[in-house]
Amino acid sequence: MPKVNVADELRNAPVEPLLPIEKKLIGWSLGTGIVLLIVLGIVNHLFPV
Amino acid sequence: MSQVSQTADWKQRRADNVSLAPRISEDWLSLIIGLGIFALALVSLLGFDVIGWVVNTSIWNDPGKALAPVAKAYASLGGAGAFVTTYIALLAVLSAAAAALGANARKFALAFTVVFWLAYGAWIVGSYANFAVVTPADFQKFGISWSLKLTNEGGYIFALVAGLIIANAFPRFAEWIREGVRPELYIKIAIVILGGALAVTAAGRLTLASSLLLRGIAAIIEAYLIYWAVVYFVARKWFGFSREWAAPLASGISICGVSAAIATGGAIRARPAVPVVVSSLVVIFAVVEVLILPFVAQTFLSHEPLVAGAWLGLAIKTDGAAVASSGITESLILAKAAAEGIKYQPGWILGTTTTVKIFIDIFIGIWAFVLGYIWTNYIDVRKDKAKASEIWQRFPKFIIGFVVTFAVGLVLALGTGPAITSKLPAAMGEANTFRVIFFILTFFSIGVLSNFKRLWAEGVGKLAAVYFISLFGFVIWVGLLISWVFFAGVKPPLAS
Repeated sequence: MPKVNVADELRNAPVEPLLPIEKKLIGWSLGTGIVLLIVLGIVNHLFPV
Repeated sequence: MSQVSQTADWKQRRADNVSLAPRISEDWLSLIIGLGIFALALVSLLGFDVIGWVVNTSIWNDPGKALAPVAKAYASLGGAGAFVTTYIALLAVLSAAAAALGANARKFALAFTVVFWLAYGAWIVGSYANFAVVTPADFQKFGISWSLKLTNEGGYIFALVAGLIIANAFPRFAEWIREGVRPELYIKIAIVILGGALAVTAAGRLTLASSLLLRGIAAIIEAYLIYWAVVYFVARKWFGFSREWAAPLASGISICGVSAAIATGGAIRARPAVPVVVSSLVVIFAVVEVLILPFVAQTFLSHEPLVAGAWLGLAIKTDGAAVASSGITESLILAKAAAEGIKYQPGWILGTTTTVKIFIDIFIGIWAFVLGYIWTNYIDVRKDKAKASEIWQRFPKFIIGFVVTFAVGLVLALGTGPAITSKLPAAMGEANTFRVIFFILTFFSIGVLSNFKRLWAEGVGKLAAVYFISLFGFVIWVGLLISWVFFAGVKPPLAS
Protein backbone atom coordinates (compact mmCIF):
# COMPACT_ATOMS: atom_id res chain seq x y z
CA MET A 1 0.00 0.00 0.00
CA PRO A 2 1.46 3.39 -0.89
CA LYS A 3 2.52 5.60 1.98
CA VAL A 4 0.55 8.78 2.48
CA ASN A 5 1.84 11.87 4.20
CA VAL A 6 -1.40 13.47 5.15
CA ALA A 7 0.09 16.90 5.85
CA ASP A 8 1.69 17.14 2.38
CA GLU A 9 -1.40 15.83 0.70
CA LEU A 10 -3.73 18.26 2.44
CA ARG A 11 -1.41 21.17 1.73
CA ASN A 12 -1.34 20.41 -1.98
CA ALA A 13 -4.98 19.36 -2.36
CA PRO A 14 -7.15 21.53 -4.63
CA VAL A 15 -10.05 23.30 -2.95
CA GLU A 16 -13.31 21.36 -3.25
CA PRO A 17 -16.29 23.60 -2.49
CA LEU A 18 -19.40 21.97 -1.01
CA LEU A 19 -21.62 20.73 -3.84
CA PRO A 20 -25.40 21.12 -3.66
CA ILE A 21 -25.76 17.35 -3.18
CA GLU A 22 -23.43 17.48 -0.15
CA LYS A 23 -25.41 20.37 1.32
CA LYS A 24 -28.59 18.35 0.78
CA LEU A 25 -27.05 15.31 2.47
CA ILE A 26 -25.96 17.35 5.48
CA GLY A 27 -29.25 19.25 5.74
CA TRP A 28 -31.52 16.24 5.32
CA SER A 29 -29.47 14.11 7.73
CA LEU A 30 -29.54 16.76 10.43
CA GLY A 31 -33.17 17.66 9.88
CA THR A 32 -34.39 14.06 9.84
CA GLY A 33 -32.19 13.21 12.82
CA ILE A 34 -33.48 16.04 14.97
CA VAL A 35 -37.13 15.36 14.09
CA LEU A 36 -36.76 11.62 14.82
CA LEU A 37 -35.02 12.30 18.13
CA ILE A 38 -37.82 14.66 19.17
CA VAL A 39 -40.46 12.07 18.20
CA LEU A 40 -38.57 9.34 20.08
CA GLY A 41 -38.16 11.65 23.07
CA ILE A 42 -41.93 12.30 23.15
CA VAL A 43 -42.68 8.56 22.85
CA ASN A 44 -40.19 7.90 25.63
CA HIS A 45 -41.83 10.56 27.79
CA LEU A 46 -45.39 9.35 27.15
CA PHE A 47 -44.60 5.66 27.62
CA PRO A 48 -41.96 5.41 30.33
CA VAL A 49 -40.59 2.06 31.57
CA MET B 1 5.89 -0.69 5.62
CA SER B 2 4.73 1.71 8.30
CA GLN B 3 2.82 0.64 11.33
CA VAL B 4 -0.21 2.42 10.02
CA SER B 5 -0.23 0.59 6.74
CA GLN B 6 0.63 -2.70 8.39
CA THR B 7 -2.07 -2.39 10.99
CA ALA B 8 -4.37 -1.53 8.25
CA ASP B 9 -3.53 -4.67 6.37
CA TRP B 10 -5.68 -6.88 8.57
CA LYS B 11 -8.27 -4.16 9.07
CA GLN B 12 -8.53 -3.90 5.35
CA ARG B 13 -9.00 -7.62 5.10
CA ARG B 14 -11.73 -7.39 7.73
CA ALA B 15 -13.78 -4.48 6.64
CA ASP B 16 -13.37 -4.85 2.97
CA ASN B 17 -14.10 -8.53 2.96
CA VAL B 18 -16.03 -7.60 -0.16
CA SER B 19 -12.98 -8.18 -2.26
CA LEU B 20 -9.96 -8.89 -0.11
CA ALA B 21 -11.06 -11.74 2.14
CA PRO B 22 -8.71 -14.70 1.80
CA ARG B 23 -10.69 -17.87 2.55
CA ILE B 24 -12.97 -16.61 5.25
CA SER B 25 -13.41 -13.18 6.78
CA GLU B 26 -12.48 -12.21 10.33
CA ASP B 27 -16.18 -11.53 10.92
CA TRP B 28 -17.24 -15.09 10.12
CA LEU B 29 -14.32 -16.51 12.08
CA SER B 30 -15.22 -14.53 15.18
CA LEU B 31 -18.78 -15.77 14.83
CA ILE B 32 -17.64 -19.42 14.53
CA ILE B 33 -15.20 -19.23 17.47
CA GLY B 34 -17.64 -17.32 19.69
CA LEU B 35 -20.48 -19.75 18.95
CA GLY B 36 -18.10 -22.68 19.52
CA ILE B 37 -17.19 -21.47 23.01
CA PHE B 38 -20.85 -20.74 23.76
CA ALA B 39 -21.87 -24.23 22.60
CA LEU B 40 -19.17 -25.89 24.72
CA ALA B 41 -20.39 -23.93 27.73
CA LEU B 42 -23.92 -25.23 27.12
CA VAL B 43 -22.67 -28.82 27.22
CA SER B 44 -22.36 -28.39 31.00
CA LEU B 45 -26.18 -28.20 31.14
CA LEU B 46 -26.10 -31.92 30.27
CA GLY B 47 -23.82 -32.63 33.21
CA PHE B 48 -20.46 -32.63 31.37
CA ASP B 49 -18.30 -29.63 32.14
CA VAL B 50 -15.92 -29.40 29.17
CA ILE B 51 -14.53 -25.86 29.59
CA GLY B 52 -14.39 -25.50 33.36
CA TRP B 53 -10.58 -25.55 33.13
CA VAL B 54 -10.44 -21.99 31.79
CA VAL B 55 -8.31 -19.78 34.01
CA ASN B 56 -9.91 -17.21 36.27
CA THR B 57 -8.10 -14.50 38.24
CA SER B 58 -9.09 -13.35 41.71
CA ILE B 59 -7.87 -10.34 43.63
CA TRP B 60 -4.69 -11.46 45.37
CA ASN B 61 -1.84 -10.55 47.62
CA ASP B 62 -0.46 -14.08 47.64
CA PRO B 63 0.62 -14.87 44.04
CA GLY B 64 -0.18 -18.54 44.61
CA LYS B 65 -3.85 -17.67 45.00
CA ALA B 66 -4.20 -15.38 41.99
CA LEU B 67 -5.14 -18.03 39.44
CA ALA B 68 -7.56 -20.95 39.51
CA PRO B 69 -9.73 -22.92 37.10
CA VAL B 70 -13.20 -21.37 36.92
CA ALA B 71 -14.94 -24.65 37.86
CA LYS B 72 -14.29 -26.54 41.08
CA ALA B 73 -14.45 -29.80 39.13
CA TYR B 74 -11.07 -28.88 37.65
CA ALA B 75 -9.50 -27.68 40.93
CA SER B 76 -6.82 -30.38 40.69
CA LEU B 77 -5.32 -28.53 37.71
CA GLY B 78 -4.30 -25.66 39.96
CA GLY B 79 -3.86 -22.06 38.83
CA ALA B 80 -0.76 -22.66 36.71
CA GLY B 81 -2.31 -25.73 35.08
CA ALA B 82 -5.48 -23.81 34.23
CA PHE B 83 -3.43 -20.96 32.79
CA VAL B 84 -1.32 -23.22 30.58
CA THR B 85 -4.36 -25.23 29.47
CA THR B 86 -6.18 -22.02 28.54
CA TYR B 87 -3.15 -20.75 26.66
CA ILE B 88 -2.75 -24.01 24.69
CA ALA B 89 -6.45 -24.16 23.83
CA LEU B 90 -6.55 -20.56 22.61
CA LEU B 91 -3.26 -20.97 20.78
CA ALA B 92 -4.61 -23.97 18.86
CA VAL B 93 -7.95 -22.37 17.97
CA LEU B 94 -6.60 -18.93 17.09
CA SER B 95 -3.64 -20.30 15.10
CA ALA B 96 -6.11 -22.27 13.00
CA ALA B 97 -8.14 -19.07 12.62
CA ALA B 98 -5.05 -17.12 11.56
CA ALA B 99 -4.23 -19.81 9.00
CA ALA B 100 -7.77 -19.57 7.65
CA LEU B 101 -7.29 -15.81 7.34
CA GLY B 102 -4.25 -16.46 5.18
CA ALA B 103 -1.69 -15.52 7.85
CA ASN B 104 1.44 -17.53 8.61
CA ALA B 105 0.18 -19.80 11.42
CA ARG B 106 3.66 -20.40 12.85
CA LYS B 107 4.43 -16.70 12.98
CA PHE B 108 1.02 -16.06 14.50
CA ALA B 109 1.54 -18.76 17.14
CA LEU B 110 4.84 -17.18 18.23
CA ALA B 111 3.38 -13.68 18.31
CA PHE B 112 0.19 -14.81 20.04
CA THR B 113 2.23 -16.56 22.71
CA VAL B 114 3.93 -13.27 23.57
CA VAL B 115 0.66 -11.32 23.35
CA PHE B 116 -1.20 -13.77 25.58
CA TRP B 117 1.48 -14.04 28.26
CA LEU B 118 2.14 -10.30 28.43
CA ALA B 119 -1.52 -9.32 28.31
CA TYR B 120 -2.59 -11.86 30.90
CA GLY B 121 0.46 -10.99 33.01
CA ALA B 122 -0.69 -7.36 33.03
CA TRP B 123 -4.19 -8.53 33.99
CA ILE B 124 -2.79 -10.51 36.94
CA VAL B 125 -0.79 -7.46 38.08
CA GLY B 126 -3.99 -5.39 37.86
CA SER B 127 -5.69 -7.83 40.24
CA TYR B 128 -3.11 -7.20 42.95
CA ALA B 129 -4.97 -6.28 46.15
CA ASN B 130 -3.41 -2.84 46.48
CA PHE B 131 -4.60 -1.97 42.98
CA ALA B 132 -7.99 -3.66 42.93
CA VAL B 133 -9.59 -3.82 46.38
CA VAL B 134 -12.58 -1.53 46.85
CA THR B 135 -14.77 -2.54 49.80
CA PRO B 136 -13.88 -2.17 53.51
CA ALA B 137 -14.51 -5.91 53.93
CA ASP B 138 -11.86 -6.68 51.33
CA PHE B 139 -9.41 -4.22 52.92
CA GLN B 140 -9.80 -6.27 56.08
CA LYS B 141 -9.67 -9.60 54.25
CA PHE B 142 -6.38 -8.78 52.54
CA GLY B 143 -4.94 -6.89 55.52
CA ILE B 144 -4.12 -3.74 53.52
CA SER B 145 -4.47 -0.06 54.40
CA TRP B 146 -4.53 1.49 50.91
CA SER B 147 -5.72 0.64 47.41
CA LEU B 148 -6.06 2.36 44.06
CA LYS B 149 -9.61 0.95 44.07
CA LEU B 150 -9.44 0.11 40.38
CA THR B 151 -11.49 -3.09 40.94
CA ASN B 152 -10.67 -6.41 39.36
CA GLU B 153 -11.44 -4.96 35.93
CA GLY B 154 -8.69 -2.35 36.36
CA GLY B 155 -6.45 -5.05 34.90
CA TYR B 156 -7.72 -3.96 31.48
CA ILE B 157 -6.01 -0.61 32.03
CA PHE B 158 -2.80 -2.42 32.94
CA ALA B 159 -3.04 -4.48 29.74
CA LEU B 160 -3.64 -1.33 27.70
CA VAL B 161 -0.71 0.49 29.30
CA ALA B 162 1.54 -2.54 28.75
CA GLY B 163 0.60 -2.44 25.06
CA LEU B 164 1.20 1.31 24.87
CA ILE B 165 4.66 0.94 26.43
CA ILE B 166 5.58 -1.72 23.89
CA ALA B 167 4.23 0.32 20.96
CA ASN B 168 6.03 3.51 21.91
CA ALA B 169 9.19 2.36 23.68
CA PHE B 170 9.86 -0.88 21.79
CA PRO B 171 8.44 -0.34 18.29
CA ARG B 172 10.54 -3.14 16.75
CA PHE B 173 9.19 -5.60 19.27
CA ALA B 174 5.68 -4.30 18.59
CA GLU B 175 6.31 -4.97 14.90
CA TRP B 176 7.53 -8.48 15.69
CA ILE B 177 4.37 -9.45 17.57
CA ARG B 178 2.05 -7.67 15.17
CA GLU B 179 0.71 -10.90 13.68
CA GLY B 180 -0.85 -11.74 17.04
CA VAL B 181 -2.26 -8.26 17.56
CA ARG B 182 -5.82 -8.52 16.27
CA PRO B 183 -8.13 -6.40 18.42
CA GLU B 184 -11.08 -6.59 16.03
CA LEU B 185 -11.03 -10.40 15.98
CA TYR B 186 -10.71 -10.64 19.76
CA ILE B 187 -13.49 -8.17 20.56
CA LYS B 188 -15.89 -9.69 18.07
CA ILE B 189 -15.41 -13.15 19.62
CA ALA B 190 -15.98 -11.55 23.02
CA ILE B 191 -19.19 -9.84 21.87
CA VAL B 192 -20.57 -13.09 20.44
CA ILE B 193 -19.92 -14.82 23.78
CA LEU B 194 -21.34 -11.86 25.68
CA GLY B 195 -24.79 -12.37 24.07
CA GLY B 196 -25.47 -15.48 26.19
CA ALA B 197 -24.48 -13.84 29.48
CA LEU B 198 -26.55 -10.74 28.70
CA ALA B 199 -29.56 -12.94 27.88
CA VAL B 200 -29.40 -14.54 31.32
CA THR B 201 -29.23 -11.07 32.87
CA ALA B 202 -32.04 -9.74 30.68
CA ALA B 203 -34.30 -12.74 31.39
CA GLY B 204 -34.67 -11.59 34.99
CA ARG B 205 -36.08 -8.21 33.94
CA LEU B 206 -37.50 -8.62 30.47
CA THR B 207 -39.48 -5.35 30.46
CA LEU B 208 -36.42 -3.33 31.36
CA ALA B 209 -34.34 -5.16 28.75
CA SER B 210 -36.85 -4.51 25.95
CA SER B 211 -37.11 -0.89 27.01
CA LEU B 212 -33.32 -0.58 26.68
CA LEU B 213 -33.54 -2.03 23.18
CA LEU B 214 -36.11 0.61 22.19
CA ARG B 215 -33.94 3.38 23.60
CA GLY B 216 -31.03 2.04 21.55
CA ILE B 217 -32.81 3.37 18.45
CA ALA B 218 -31.91 6.89 19.61
CA ALA B 219 -28.25 5.91 19.35
CA ILE B 220 -28.63 4.95 15.69
CA ILE B 221 -30.27 8.27 14.81
CA GLU B 222 -27.65 10.20 16.73
CA ALA B 223 -24.63 8.45 15.23
CA TYR B 224 -25.71 8.34 11.59
CA LEU B 225 -27.86 11.41 11.14
CA ILE B 226 -26.56 13.95 13.67
CA TYR B 227 -22.89 13.16 14.31
CA TRP B 228 -22.03 12.28 10.72
CA ALA B 229 -23.57 15.39 9.21
CA VAL B 230 -21.92 17.75 11.70
CA VAL B 231 -18.46 16.15 11.50
CA TYR B 232 -18.58 16.04 7.70
CA PHE B 233 -19.54 19.70 7.61
CA VAL B 234 -16.76 20.66 10.06
CA ALA B 235 -14.16 18.69 8.10
CA ARG B 236 -15.23 20.07 4.73
CA LYS B 237 -16.16 23.66 5.56
CA TRP B 238 -13.90 24.63 8.47
CA PHE B 239 -10.85 22.50 7.73
CA GLY B 240 -11.08 22.34 3.95
CA PHE B 241 -10.73 18.56 3.65
CA SER B 242 -11.44 16.92 0.33
CA ARG B 243 -14.49 14.66 0.10
CA GLU B 244 -12.26 11.60 -0.09
CA TRP B 245 -10.87 12.38 3.38
CA ALA B 246 -13.92 13.98 4.97
CA ALA B 247 -16.38 11.09 4.45
CA PRO B 248 -14.29 8.28 6.05
CA LEU B 249 -13.23 10.70 8.78
CA ALA B 250 -16.86 11.61 9.54
CA SER B 251 -17.81 7.94 9.65
CA GLY B 252 -14.83 7.08 11.86
CA ILE B 253 -15.66 9.77 14.40
CA SER B 254 -19.43 9.37 14.26
CA ILE B 255 -20.30 5.74 13.83
CA CYS B 256 -18.10 2.94 15.06
CA GLY B 257 -14.58 3.86 14.23
CA VAL B 258 -12.44 1.49 12.25
CA SER B 259 -15.17 -0.58 10.59
CA ALA B 260 -17.18 2.49 9.60
CA ALA B 261 -14.17 4.37 8.21
CA ILE B 262 -13.14 1.40 6.09
CA ALA B 263 -16.68 0.62 4.94
CA THR B 264 -17.20 4.27 3.93
CA GLY B 265 -13.81 4.46 2.23
CA GLY B 266 -14.71 1.39 0.16
CA ALA B 267 -18.19 2.71 -0.62
CA ILE B 268 -17.05 6.09 -1.94
CA ARG B 269 -14.16 4.43 -3.77
CA ALA B 270 -11.47 6.29 -1.76
CA ARG B 271 -7.86 5.16 -2.03
CA PRO B 272 -7.24 2.34 0.50
CA ALA B 273 -4.69 4.43 2.42
CA VAL B 274 -7.31 7.03 3.38
CA PRO B 275 -9.53 4.96 5.69
CA VAL B 276 -6.41 3.24 6.99
CA VAL B 277 -4.93 6.50 8.28
CA VAL B 278 -8.32 7.48 9.72
CA SER B 279 -8.57 4.08 11.44
CA SER B 280 -5.21 4.55 13.13
CA LEU B 281 -6.41 7.89 14.44
CA VAL B 282 -9.61 6.29 15.72
CA VAL B 283 -7.60 3.76 17.72
CA ILE B 284 -5.36 6.44 19.25
CA PHE B 285 -8.32 8.54 20.38
CA ALA B 286 -10.09 5.44 21.71
CA VAL B 287 -7.03 4.78 23.89
CA VAL B 288 -7.24 8.30 25.32
CA GLU B 289 -10.96 7.90 25.98
CA VAL B 290 -10.54 4.51 27.63
CA LEU B 291 -8.01 5.95 30.04
CA ILE B 292 -10.28 8.86 30.99
CA LEU B 293 -14.00 8.20 30.49
CA PRO B 294 -14.58 5.24 32.89
CA PHE B 295 -13.29 7.36 35.75
CA VAL B 296 -15.30 10.40 34.62
CA ALA B 297 -18.39 8.16 34.46
CA GLN B 298 -17.72 6.80 37.94
CA THR B 299 -17.30 10.32 39.33
CA PHE B 300 -20.27 12.01 37.72
CA LEU B 301 -22.68 9.28 36.60
CA SER B 302 -22.58 6.70 39.39
CA HIS B 303 -26.20 7.56 40.27
CA GLU B 304 -27.26 7.07 36.66
CA PRO B 305 -25.48 3.82 35.71
CA LEU B 306 -27.35 3.24 32.46
CA VAL B 307 -26.72 6.79 31.27
CA ALA B 308 -23.04 5.97 31.77
CA GLY B 309 -23.40 2.74 29.76
CA ALA B 310 -25.17 4.44 26.85
CA TRP B 311 -22.77 7.37 26.91
CA LEU B 312 -19.72 5.11 26.55
CA GLY B 313 -21.35 3.39 23.60
CA LEU B 314 -21.91 6.74 21.91
CA ALA B 315 -18.63 8.41 22.86
CA ILE B 316 -15.99 5.72 22.34
CA LYS B 317 -15.65 4.94 18.69
CA THR B 318 -14.38 1.41 18.43
CA ASP B 319 -16.44 -1.57 19.53
CA GLY B 320 -13.52 -3.05 21.42
CA ALA B 321 -12.65 0.04 23.41
CA ALA B 322 -16.29 0.95 24.08
CA VAL B 323 -17.52 -2.44 25.24
CA ALA B 324 -14.38 -3.27 27.19
CA SER B 325 -14.21 0.13 28.88
CA SER B 326 -17.85 -0.36 29.82
CA GLY B 327 -16.67 -3.44 31.73
CA ILE B 328 -14.29 -1.22 33.71
CA THR B 329 -16.98 1.43 34.22
CA GLU B 330 -19.50 -1.12 35.44
CA SER B 331 -17.02 -2.41 37.96
CA LEU B 332 -16.14 1.09 39.16
CA ILE B 333 -19.75 2.28 39.42
CA LEU B 334 -20.97 -0.90 41.11
CA ALA B 335 -18.14 -0.62 43.63
CA LYS B 336 -18.99 3.02 44.36
CA ALA B 337 -22.69 2.23 44.69
CA ALA B 338 -21.91 -0.72 46.96
CA ALA B 339 -19.90 1.59 49.21
CA GLU B 340 -23.08 3.70 49.50
CA GLY B 341 -25.13 0.63 50.35
CA ILE B 342 -26.69 0.11 46.90
CA LYS B 343 -26.00 -3.26 45.32
CA TYR B 344 -26.86 -3.20 41.63
CA GLN B 345 -27.09 -6.40 39.62
CA PRO B 346 -24.02 -6.65 37.37
CA GLY B 347 -24.36 -6.85 33.60
CA TRP B 348 -26.75 -3.97 32.92
CA ILE B 349 -24.22 -1.21 32.24
CA LEU B 350 -22.21 -3.52 30.00
CA GLY B 351 -25.45 -4.65 28.37
CA THR B 352 -26.50 -1.07 27.64
CA THR B 353 -23.19 -0.19 26.01
CA THR B 354 -23.24 -3.38 23.96
CA THR B 355 -26.82 -2.76 22.84
CA VAL B 356 -25.96 0.76 21.72
CA LYS B 357 -22.88 -0.46 19.84
CA ILE B 358 -24.63 -3.40 18.21
CA PHE B 359 -27.53 -1.19 17.10
CA ILE B 360 -25.09 1.27 15.54
CA ASP B 361 -23.05 -1.50 13.88
CA ILE B 362 -26.09 -3.04 12.21
CA PHE B 363 -26.55 -0.04 9.94
CA ILE B 364 -22.96 0.35 8.73
CA GLY B 365 -23.69 -1.48 5.49
CA ILE B 366 -26.81 0.55 4.75
CA TRP B 367 -25.12 3.87 5.49
CA ALA B 368 -22.10 2.93 3.38
CA PHE B 369 -24.47 2.05 0.54
CA VAL B 370 -26.30 5.40 0.84
CA LEU B 371 -22.98 7.26 0.68
CA GLY B 372 -21.73 5.03 -2.13
CA TYR B 373 -24.91 5.65 -4.11
CA ILE B 374 -24.63 9.45 -3.73
CA TRP B 375 -20.91 9.47 -4.52
CA THR B 376 -20.97 7.21 -7.55
CA ASN B 377 -24.11 8.82 -9.03
CA TYR B 378 -23.74 12.51 -8.20
CA ILE B 379 -20.25 13.38 -7.00
CA ASP B 380 -17.69 11.12 -8.62
CA VAL B 381 -19.89 9.75 -11.42
CA ARG B 382 -18.50 6.43 -12.64
CA LYS B 383 -19.50 3.10 -14.16
CA ASP B 384 -18.53 1.24 -10.99
CA LYS B 385 -21.74 2.27 -9.17
CA ALA B 386 -22.72 1.24 -5.65
CA LYS B 387 -24.84 -1.91 -5.59
CA ALA B 388 -27.43 -2.97 -2.99
CA SER B 389 -25.57 -6.28 -2.55
CA GLU B 390 -22.78 -4.30 -0.84
CA ILE B 391 -25.11 -3.84 2.14
CA TRP B 392 -24.88 -7.53 2.99
CA GLN B 393 -21.20 -7.74 2.05
CA ARG B 394 -20.38 -4.97 4.53
CA PHE B 395 -22.77 -6.20 7.23
CA PRO B 396 -20.75 -7.08 10.35
CA LYS B 397 -21.46 -10.83 10.51
CA PHE B 398 -20.39 -11.26 14.12
CA ILE B 399 -23.65 -9.53 15.08
CA ILE B 400 -25.45 -12.67 13.88
CA GLY B 401 -23.44 -14.60 16.46
CA PHE B 402 -24.43 -12.15 19.18
CA VAL B 403 -28.10 -12.43 18.24
CA VAL B 404 -27.91 -16.26 18.23
CA THR B 405 -26.23 -16.53 21.67
CA PHE B 406 -28.63 -13.94 23.08
CA ALA B 407 -31.69 -15.74 21.67
CA VAL B 408 -30.55 -19.19 22.79
CA GLY B 409 -29.64 -17.87 26.24
CA LEU B 410 -33.05 -16.19 26.54
CA VAL B 411 -34.95 -19.33 25.43
CA LEU B 412 -33.02 -21.46 27.91
CA ALA B 413 -33.54 -18.97 30.73
CA LEU B 414 -37.25 -18.50 30.14
CA GLY B 415 -38.44 -21.64 28.41
CA THR B 416 -36.89 -24.48 30.38
CA GLY B 417 -37.41 -26.04 33.79
CA PRO B 418 -35.44 -25.51 37.00
CA ALA B 419 -33.08 -28.39 36.14
CA ILE B 420 -31.65 -26.27 33.30
CA THR B 421 -32.14 -22.74 34.61
CA SER B 422 -30.29 -23.55 37.83
CA LYS B 423 -27.21 -24.60 35.83
CA LEU B 424 -27.42 -21.84 33.22
CA PRO B 425 -25.68 -19.01 35.18
CA ALA B 426 -22.68 -21.27 35.88
CA ALA B 427 -22.48 -22.33 32.23
CA MET B 428 -22.65 -18.72 31.05
CA GLY B 429 -20.11 -17.82 33.74
CA GLU B 430 -17.60 -20.22 32.17
CA ALA B 431 -18.19 -18.76 28.71
CA ASN B 432 -17.92 -15.30 30.24
CA THR B 433 -14.47 -16.13 31.60
CA PHE B 434 -13.35 -16.57 27.99
CA ARG B 435 -15.04 -13.26 27.19
CA VAL B 436 -12.89 -11.58 29.85
CA ILE B 437 -9.73 -13.09 28.32
CA PHE B 438 -10.69 -11.78 24.88
CA PHE B 439 -11.30 -8.34 26.41
CA ILE B 440 -7.79 -8.46 27.91
CA LEU B 441 -6.31 -9.40 24.53
CA THR B 442 -8.28 -6.56 22.93
CA PHE B 443 -7.00 -3.94 25.35
CA PHE B 444 -3.41 -5.08 25.00
CA SER B 445 -3.70 -5.16 21.20
CA ILE B 446 -5.17 -1.66 21.03
CA GLY B 447 -2.21 -0.44 23.07
CA VAL B 448 0.30 -2.16 20.79
CA LEU B 449 -1.26 -0.52 17.74
CA SER B 450 -1.00 2.97 19.25
CA ASN B 451 2.38 4.30 18.23
CA PHE B 452 1.84 8.02 18.76
CA LYS B 453 5.19 9.11 17.37
CA ARG B 454 4.91 7.20 14.12
CA LEU B 455 1.36 8.33 13.53
CA TRP B 456 2.39 11.93 14.07
CA ALA B 457 5.18 11.45 11.51
CA GLU B 458 2.49 10.54 8.96
CA GLY B 459 1.38 14.17 9.19
CA VAL B 460 -2.02 13.59 10.76
CA GLY B 461 -2.01 16.84 12.77
CA LYS B 462 -4.89 18.44 10.88
CA LEU B 463 -6.92 15.20 10.88
CA ALA B 464 -6.30 14.88 14.61
CA ALA B 465 -7.49 18.46 15.07
CA VAL B 466 -10.83 17.69 13.39
CA TYR B 467 -11.09 14.52 15.43
CA PHE B 468 -10.26 16.32 18.67
CA ILE B 469 -12.68 19.20 18.07
CA SER B 470 -15.50 16.92 16.93
CA LEU B 471 -15.02 14.35 19.67
CA PHE B 472 -14.40 16.54 22.69
CA GLY B 473 -16.33 19.58 21.51
CA PHE B 474 -19.43 17.85 20.21
CA VAL B 475 -19.71 14.05 20.12
CA ILE B 476 -19.07 13.46 23.82
CA TRP B 477 -21.48 16.18 24.98
CA VAL B 478 -24.30 15.44 22.57
CA GLY B 479 -23.86 11.75 23.43
CA LEU B 480 -24.19 12.61 27.10
CA LEU B 481 -27.28 14.74 26.49
CA ILE B 482 -29.04 12.07 24.44
CA SER B 483 -28.05 9.34 26.90
CA TRP B 484 -29.45 11.47 29.69
CA VAL B 485 -32.71 12.20 27.87
CA PHE B 486 -33.33 8.53 27.09
CA PHE B 487 -31.74 6.65 29.99
CA ALA B 488 -31.91 8.94 33.04
CA GLY B 489 -33.95 7.45 35.86
CA VAL B 490 -33.72 3.92 34.44
CA LYS B 491 -31.79 1.97 37.05
CA PRO B 492 -30.38 -1.56 36.94
CA PRO B 493 -32.25 -4.01 39.19
CA LEU B 494 -30.86 -4.51 42.68
CA ALA B 495 -28.91 -7.68 43.33
CA SER B 496 -30.89 -10.15 45.41
